[in-house]
Amino acid sequence: MPKIIAIHSFRGGTGKSNTTANLACLLAQKGQRVGIVDTDIQSPGIHVLFNLDPREISCSLNDFLWGKCEIESAAYDVSKIIEPQTDGKLFLIPSSIRTGDIARVLHYGYDINLLKEGYQKLILQLSLDYLFIDTHPGLNEETLMSIAIADILLIILRPDQQDYQGTAVTVEVSRQLEVPGMFLIVNKVPDVFAHEELAVKVASTYQCEVAGVLPHADEMMTLASSGIFSMQYPDHAVSREMDKIIQRITG
Amino acid sequence: MKLSAAKIILIGCGLGIVYGLLNGFSNAFLLPSAPIISLRPQIALPMIVGIIGHPLAGFITGFTGNVIGDGISGFGFWKFWNWHIANGLMGLIPGLIRYRGITRIATVREFGILQVSIILACGIGVGFAVVMDVLFLHFMIFPSSLHAWILPAFLTDVVNGFVLVPAALVLTGAILITLETRTIMMITALLIIAVLATAGSITWAVLDDLVSHQAMVRNFYIAAIVSVLLLVIGFLASIVFVRKMTDPLTKITRAAESVEKGNYDLETLGGISGRNDELGRLARVFEQMAGKVLEREKKLQKQVEELQIKIDREKQIADVAEIVETEYFRSLKEKARKFRSS
Repeated sequence: MPKIIAIHSFRGGTGKSNTTANLACLLAQKGQRVGIVDTDIQSPGIHVLFNLDPREISCSLNDFLWGKCEIESAAYDVSKIIEPQTDGKLFLIPSSIRTGDIARVLHYGYDINLLKEGYQKLILQLSLDYLFIDTHPGLNEETLMSIAIADILLIILRPDQQDYQGTAVTVEVSRQLEVPGMFLIVNKVPDVFAHEELAVKVASTYQCEVAGVLPHADEMMTLASSGIFSMQYPDHAVSREMDKIIQRITG
Repeated sequence: MKLSAAKIILIGCGLGIVYGLLNGFSNAFLLPSAPIISLRPQIALPMIVGIIGHPLAGFITGFTGNVIGDGISGFGFWKFWNWHIANGLMGLIPGLIRYRGITRIATVREFGILQVSIILACGIGVGFAVVMDVLFLHFMIFPSSLHAWILPAFLTDVVNGFVLVPAALVLTGAILITLETRTIMMITALLIIAVLATAGSITWAVLDDLVSHQAMVRNFYIAAIVSVLLLVIGFLASIVFVRKMTDPLTKITRAAESVEKGNYDLETLGGISGRNDELGRLARVFEQMAGKVLEREKKLQKQVEELQIKIDREKQIADVAEIVETEYFRSLKEKARKFRSS
């Protein structure tokens, strides 16, 4: 059964897009066919990680939502970023970065049925095993839609007070939407923290399984959103923990 | 090195033959004013075998070597049997340092024990030969044998052992080149040069037909006493001197290790940071540095201990209600339910 995995964080800057891209790449590396939809229409950015030139994007998620194109023509094959190359495939469905498109979608909104049908078609046409949905921070209507559609929800937070509060709201709202699988990922954790204790504490606070605690990595910062970390540093502690996350959420 | 009995005997006899041939060869070169005891650097060989191989192998090397050497030189194979055993003891005794837990020499203390064991080996070896002679053999005539045989044998063996044994142990890696061993060996080398120069100048300076035999003997005793005093006092002084330099380094290293382990036990630095020299400065800088690291560590520790996931439940309930109690949310929930059941 193909799975839709939504990735969300209550606040921006948690490393949500980065984690999405890395998890998707690691799955594709294992031979899976994976898609990523960038629903962060307000501030799209994941295409940068895949070195996708905006001029190449003739058709985007926005165009599909406006009925201007089929969803599969908005899917771009970015499998060449996978190292080492495997049978796996990786497709990216970007959001338009044209400001006009952004304003239009935000103003009129879109319908959940259309989105759901689009995803189903995408999964079928590209025979995907996993479809990742990168969401916009906060809990606006579009984000709630993505959560409602998802089979698995990954909520990313940093060890910081504001994230703790916001995550409590997200977890409760997602429970009410009856998401079948929900996991927390604590990101950008300094080395001085005892990672396992933190995981236990977070899990008991939210009554929700913690899929992984990702250490803060200077190398990640120096990469500065160009390229996929787990492909370039496969033996790094961050990459190994991401591998574990994948095993937990797919196992 | 762990050796079987067979190997000990094999090594002992094999190197004993080498030692014997060298003895036979060097018996041709006799010490001035000590006509019977030859200058024999090869005495270091049984000692080295004893230390690196096994004490018993050292004994066998010394014993068989002396038998062969005497035989070659025409002294008779068994006539001086007391000296065979004496040579054996000189190979055996230095090897015993392994039973003090010394397998590799890395510190001044261990080097000191090695050198003392060489002095003891020569003293006990020569002493044994003399006692056996007095009791059973009666070859020696006192007091002339004292300066003709006994003292020369003891002194040349000690000096040879002092120089050659450490050299061989450095080559085989049994002495680790550390700051401590490097310094003590350098000072020992200078000390031995000084001893040889002093002893040589006293002994040989008056080698002249005009000088009476009595004067030569007197000079020899002076040389012997000066040599022994120089060697013993010099060596003890250099041990103290070297340890004054290396002990602080060891303590600073220990303090650094304790910081690495997170203990911050800097008490060992107490005596050193008061020093006016470079080591005192190093200790002070290290203390300050460790203090800063500790401060930072404590700050972080405090932050981690304060790690609490505080959630304002009232605010949470209000925020959740604001979202879920809308018409949009209700219909979304409805639709989601339908998707999942389909």
